[in-house]
Amino acid sequence: MRKLLYLAACVCLASAAAWRGRAATAPAPNPDDGSVTQGIFTNTYFNLSYPLLPGWTVGIAGPQPSISGYYVLANFVPTGEFRGTIMVAAQDIFFAAKPFDDLMAMTGEFSRSISQVDGMTIDRSPSDLWIAGRTFSRFDFSGVGLFRSTLTAKIRCHFVSFNLTAKSPELLTALLRSVDNLGPASDKDAGRIDPRCISNYADAEHLLSKVDPAAVAPSFIPIPVRIVVGSNGNVKHVHVIRATSGQRDSIERALALWKLKPHEIDGRTNEIETGLLIKFTPAGGVIYSPGNGSLPNGRG
Amino acid sequence: MSHLRAWVFAGGVSTLVAAATLSGAALAQVVQDPGVRGGPPGAGGPLPNLIPGGGSQASQPGFFQAAQVFFTSVFSVTGSINDAPPGLTDGGPGLGPRYNLNSCAGCHAQPAVGGTSPTINPEVAVATLHGARNVVPGFITLNGPVREARFVRNPDGTPDGQVHELYVISGRPDAPGCDIQQENFAAALAANNVIFRIPTPTFGLGLVEGISDLGLTTAFNSNPALKSQLGISGQFNTSGNDGTITRFGWKAQNKSLLMFSGEAYLVEMGVTNELFPNKRDNETTPSCQFNPLPEDMTVFGTTDPVSPPTGSTASDFSTGIVNFSTFMRLSAPPTPAPAGVYPTNPAATASSSRGNVVFNNIGCQACHVTQQTTAINGLAFLSSSGPVNLSPFSDFAVHNMGYGLADGITQGNANGQEFRSAPLWGIGQRIFFLHDGRTSDLLQAILAHASPESEANAVINNFNLLPPQSKQDLLNFLRSL
Repeated sequence: MRKLLYLAACVCLASAAAWRGRAATAPAPNPDDGSVTQGIFTNTYFNLSYPLLPGWTVGIAGPQPSISGYYVLANFVPTGEFRGTIMVAAQDIFFAAKPFDDLMAMTGEFSRSISQVDGMTIDRSPSDLWIAGRTFSRFDFSGVGLFRSTLTAKIRCHFVSFNLTAKSPELLTALLRSVDNLGPASDKDAGRIDPRCISNYADAEHLLSKVDPAAVAPSFIPIPVRIVVGSNGNVKHVHVIRATSGQRDSIERALALWKLKPHEIDGRTNEIETGLLIKFTPAGGVIYSPGNGSLPNGRG
Repeated sequence: MSHLRAWVFAGGVSTLVAAATLSGAALAQVVQDPGVRGGPPGAGGPLPNLIPGGGSQASQPGFFQAAQVFFTSVFSVTGSINDAPPGLTDGGPGLGPRYNLNSCAGCHAQPAVGGTSPTINPEVAVATLHGARNVVPGFITLNGPVREARFVRNPDGTPDGQVHELYVISGRPDAPGCDIQQENFAAALAANNVIFRIPTPTFGLGLVEGISDLGLTTAFNSNPALKSQLGISGQFNTSGNDGTITRFGWKAQNKSLLMFSGEAYLVEMGVTNELFPNKRDNETTPSCQFNPLPEDMTVFGTTDPVSPPTGSTASDFSTGIVNFSTFMRLSAPPTPAPAGVYPTNPAATASSSRGNVVFNNIGCQACHVTQQTTAINGLAFLSSSGPVNLSPFSDFAVHNMGYGLADGITQGNANGQEFRSAPLWGIGQRIFFLHDGRTSDLLQAILAHASPESEANAVINNFNLLPPQSKQDLLNFLRSL
């Protein structure tokens, strides 16, 4: 019997090793993994929870993540008269068409573009607020009978925004108050330290070894990928943000085998996350680009 | 699929869609599409500043006129039948063995030659023209939109996506011995395996072709924060050959007007040409092949042996597809209604002006980009130098339009839910809307932009939050374009 148990254990270990050899990475939350339970929207990746206003519910789902790393995380609407909406969105800074490193720069540009729209009034210029331990930039504007406010925070190299729209200033005020109830995803996530996000870390300087993913059609379409690199330099998690299932599988398998220089600060190694764009060519090649740039830095 | 999407998909959709439909029904009581704008078409002519060239034989305007005639010409199987009604030209041979119509201008007709689906659907009459033994499919009606049909899946379940022509030439006197059968559209409909596309207008497309990739990308990236506030992302469709942006067709799947012409010539009429030199079902229907291929090719003599001289040497020496693409390339964009002319009363004109503000305020312009600019060095066929501004009301990118508009067809980068932002120039004079022509009501077309996973949901939410007058203003503005 003992031999049998020993044999079974060996089989399990061998299977685990083989599984590792197939390059699977540990499950981890992704930005679009939010859910609503008992009236509370929770997003573990961004470590956020938001209790819905009484009488509000989940609206029509938004699109899948885009190739520019843009997510519609949730929509909320009233159950009764249609008086307003809340849309929660996130823009991955690594893949943004116009990357802003600074929250105020982003909301400043937003404010300028809104001010150029005929008939739009800026009711409150971008200014910082402190909500749930984070800095949010608030910007209010109105036009054609719609009153809107956008509250944006920078979380894990994403701009996470709460976009509020109301038919009246009073309702907008109520929606704004509801955002004050933001909190961590759960009690155990309070004070959680997330991996540092570092732009373009998977570059020639930091990449020790890599396995190219097998090219899968269609070609030339940029595929945004986020990876979490452990403190030992191994890739812990691969998130292919948008791709076909075949491309996703190919990239996940290959990138899980990459080895990078451990990120160090003051002699201590840290877990980090970074982004890169991958394009396949018709000839079977792989082109890697920095997440928020267009200069190819390698060719497989 | 995230938990949230799963929730919506599992239980919430029916309720939400029902609510949206109800709100749409309630809206319709007070807000109305004013209908197709009357008056002169404001489209169909040449660009105003074409290079005159050396004499009428070589001039660009002359080429445009001749190419326009070619666009209206009517084709038969072997060229032995002149199907052209009085006033139109015989196009020559090449029709079939499968086809949707026998002329470009039959489908591209409203409000002028080069436009889109007309009031009377010519696909009904052509079904039995000259003894052809075709049954008109149920989705083709005399007053409905011109439609092409695509099958979503092959019989083995793999993706199809191709056009399946409505008709066959069997029974026509110029197709002796040909006895192929029509596709079984009734079965395809019953299996929910067929989707439709209506013709896209061709006015002003030379200017669209002349926008550089950089120009398109710059316009696309000019308002990221606004798009982000509206849930909009999108992407360009690109050529699998060189990675450059493609821009023509419902999914922006075609790279150039020449390619668009060649593909349509073969797929819609069956005419082989120098870009598409083989019949689509060459191997399976040898008894239905009657002509040397390609049926449309460069004319090596002084004049086309089939067609009479047009008065434009350039046209006479060019292939059909070059003529078609030239007609589109040199055509002027549609012009909006002049101020004070439409709608007919001054108050309504003020309403259209307010509607323009609504259009920009609720976020329509995030995708239906008002202004584009052609490449910096100008266009070779224009007498003026430098870039040209145009107002197509499109970013020419593809966007996820959700389950409600999804057709399940992948073309290039565009998946089954993605469609190009339809250019809205000339929409005031269009009869049918959306890729499949499912509605003639502009209000319903707007509302159909919202469904699970659509990028337009936030914009349509904004529309639904507007007071009735603002909604009416928007409709009036759109009908003025």
